[in-house]
Amino acid sequence: MKHLSEEELVEACYGESGAAGVAHLAACPECAAQLLELKRDLEGVMRTEVPERDAEYGERVWETLRPRLIPYEKKARGWRRLFGRSGAQLRAALLALGCAALVAAAFVGGRVWERHTTKTTKVASASPSPQAKERVVLVVLTDHLDRTERLLVSLEHADSSDKAENAQLQSEARELLASNRLYRTTASDAGDPVLAGALDRVEGVLAEVANDPNLTAEDLQRLRDEMNSEGILFEIRVLLAQTPDQAGGPKPAKGATI
Amino acid sequence: MQGSDHSVVRAVLAGDKDAYGALVRAHSATVFRVAFRIAGNEADAEEIVQEAFLRGYQRLETFEQRSSFGTWIYRIAVNCALNRVGKPEIDAEYRHAEESDPEEKTVQVAAREAGPERALLSREIKAAQETAMQRLTPTEKTAFVLRHLEDRSMSEIAEVLGVAPNAAKQAVFRAVQKLRRELAPLRGTA
Repeated sequence: MKHLSEEELVEACYGESGAAGVAHLAACPECAAQLLELKRDLEGVMRTEVPERDAEYGERVWETLRPRLIPYEKKARGWRRLFGRSGAQLRAALLALGCAALVAAAFVGGRVWERHTTKTTKVASASPSPQAKERVVLVVLTDHLDRTERLLVSLEHADSSDKAENAQLQSEARELLASNRLYRTTASDAGDPVLAGALDRVEGVLAEVANDPNLTAEDLQRLRDEMNSEGILFEIRVLLAQTPDQAGGPKPAKGATI
Repeated sequence: MQGSDHSVVRAVLAGDKDAYGALVRAHSATVFRVAFRIAGNEADAEEIVQEAFLRGYQRLETFEQRSSFGTWIYRIAVNCALNRVGKPEIDAEYRHAEESDPEEKTVQVAAREAGPERALLSREIKAAQETAMQRLTPTEKTAFVLRHLEDRSMSEIAEVLGVAPNAAKQAVFRAVQKLRRELAPLRGTA
């Protein structure tokens, strides 16, 4: 009879052994004794009580945390402030903008109408092909990856005491965060887990940089550690190397054909 | 709870920062419990709770509405705790060096007969257990705490640690093996 290994005994100790293991333990007094000994050994380990937290604990945690949080959707509020707080002011501003757009459209439309009608056939034949569309997507994605790489490199060498540099990093991260989400979702929908995964990891870093009110030296170090341990910068460089250049370089990588 | 958590997350992402307070109040006790079990002391556990909820807020946009917020924040807390216990202080590593000699596999314990000696014995056993726990790697310790004290399944541990289920199982197994080896001299004294 083949006895249970130590690993199988540990599984049995936590009730995770299979039917064969259970049957063996029932039939083999030697293994049953070993399991009992293992259970006894582990019984006392770390059974220290967790200190009780009172009902107000959550409230206290929140009170300490609250001042450190920046509300989401700050940009939307910024627009509202720009056009005034009341709905009437906002509507008036939008109406004025609409009128201006109509006048501009009528003016430009009148100027180009004659030229447009003579060239209709030519323009219709020049509608973009799927390849051309893909090229545009690739250029845009490459640009995004390029900017992300630059931000990550800046982050690697950022000085926490330089407030101007930190503000610039945060503003860049906020811009990249929005587009990154779009690319990640698209890559995920297009069934490209490699690109979606890489963009997901980048998003974590971007979100942290974008939302942290004041990046301390520890924050920066932690972000660098995360970036290094997850190999985010390396991943971005690989993706960049795999995307073709605008002059028709190498074959597009799977991760670049969203 | 999960449904209401999701609506709170949506409110926070729509700009209602204060809505996040409801999530903090609802989950801070659970987060504290696991933080304490991994960190081993209240001060560190309190800081881990703060850090976990701060990170959670900052990454809320990446939270998948399919999963539960409780599980998500729990995972963040375990990772925060893992980072913290991954950088132990030098003196903590050798706190019990005077009493124990792991090389010789011996632990000095008091006699069992009298009352005060019995109390001393319990304290020394506890100290030996703490030393044994400190000798585990952060991943082994976390995996063991999640399995042994938090009663999490191997697949949950794997998910929390971001490793394959077999790697999680191996981490628990190695932890048990090391603890048994370290505590072998105590066998029969407890």
